[in-house]
Amino acid sequence: MTMVRGMHLTPIGEGCVLLEPTDGFDPGDPDAYLIPLAGALQRMRARRLLYDLKNVPVIDSLYFAWLSSLAAMCRISGISMVVVSMRPATAYALALTMKDQPPFDCALDVNRARSLP
Amino acid sequence: MARSAKPAAEAAKSTNQLLIEQMMTKVATISQDIEKRGQNIFGQSNLLTIDEINDYSLEFLELFVLLLQAGERIDRRGSEYKALRQFFSNFSQQIQIRGGNLEEFVRYIHFMQDIFLHNLEADATLGFQQTREILLLLASVFNDIILDVFHIYLAEKERTIQAQQEELKHTSTPITEIWDGVLTLPIIGTLDSSRTMSVMENMLARIEKDRARVVVIDVTGVQAIDSQVSHHLIQMIRAVGLMGAKAILTGIRPEIARAITSLNIDLSMVSTRSTLSEGLKEAFALLGVSVQTASGPHH
Repeated sequence: MTMVRGMHLTPIGEGCVLLEPTDGFDPGDPDAYLIPLAGALQRMRARRLLYDLKNVPVIDSLYFAWLSSLAAMCRISGISMVVVSMRPATAYALALTMKDQPPFDCALDVNRARSLP
Repeated sequence: MARSAKPAAEAAKSTNQLLIEQMMTKVATISQDIEKRGQNIFGQSNLLTIDEINDYSLEFLELFVLLLQAGERIDRRGSEYKALRQFFSNFSQQIQIRGGNLEEFVRYIHFMQDIFLHNLEADATLGFQQTREILLLLASVFNDIILDVFHIYLAEKERTIQAQQEELKHTSTPITEIWDGVLTLPIIGTLDSSRTMSVMENMLARIEKDRARVVVIDVTGVQAIDSQVSHHLIQMIRAVGLMGAKAILTGIRPEIARAITSLNIDLSMVSTRSTLSEGLKEAFALLGVSVQTASGPHH
């Protein structure tokens, strides 16, 4: 497991890296995370980033902006980004506020995300 | 002039006491009258049995006497008054449950009041002031009771309408797992915000529970589409996508397709098929499932 402040990064094989945000994570300051995260993903030779939302009960505009920034950074780095384990209530609330398609893929869980083409 | 010749002790009695005395001297007649009228109203339509009518009549008289005995003035916060209101609540609820209507019940309450008024007229010992006070007392108590019954009736009606709406919501959007990982959601009628909310909640919970990969949303039963309905549909499809499942929209009739194009609604990100069966074929294709007849591939 690799630590970037505010999140756990775990290589789970076949170029997939699982990102689990921790309690100290602050989505309001993306610049504090994007560069160290990009470095860590490159070192791990990641081809797919699985962002675990299991413990994220609400995705507000701030959190969505963070996810979008991360997706943009992944795209530039040649890494596909998949958010996993979004709760039904979170998906529901987010769908009501979203204006466009999200810039990342979604999967029900980690296994589904790994098997995406 | 009997009314002016009343004794001084009689004049000093409170309105409640006078009414109690009147009731006590004529309790048999009053009770009989109330029972008889109750049988006419509720017995003929089989809403209550004769025993029930008699029980209710006696209970009413008992509670009314208790209320009058509780003090010189009617205390609307007192337990006796609450007990009388509760009695009428239960009574009216029972009548409603058995299919009776409010009009009959209100007429019955009016009749109860009338019985007291007739007795009042017949009593020559009461002075004008006393008669007036008793009339006011009866009017105030019975008016409150009628108002209560009316509120209960409205509340009960509202509860029934809400329950029917809830039931309709569930029956008009049944979510079915038609294949492993494939859910179908036929939408019939129109999609307003409240229904969208309920459908989305159920659908997302089912995606998680059944681990669905594809949701086929069939709008064959949607009669008309406007920008609001299409907006709700797009929200639903997005929510399905956020849960990691794929949404397929089927059953877009020509009129609906025309409405969508006129409204400039962009459904380019949505996978659409003309019929539910085409949608299912698409779902199977996404899952890598092929359906074959026993003699060969199914076309």
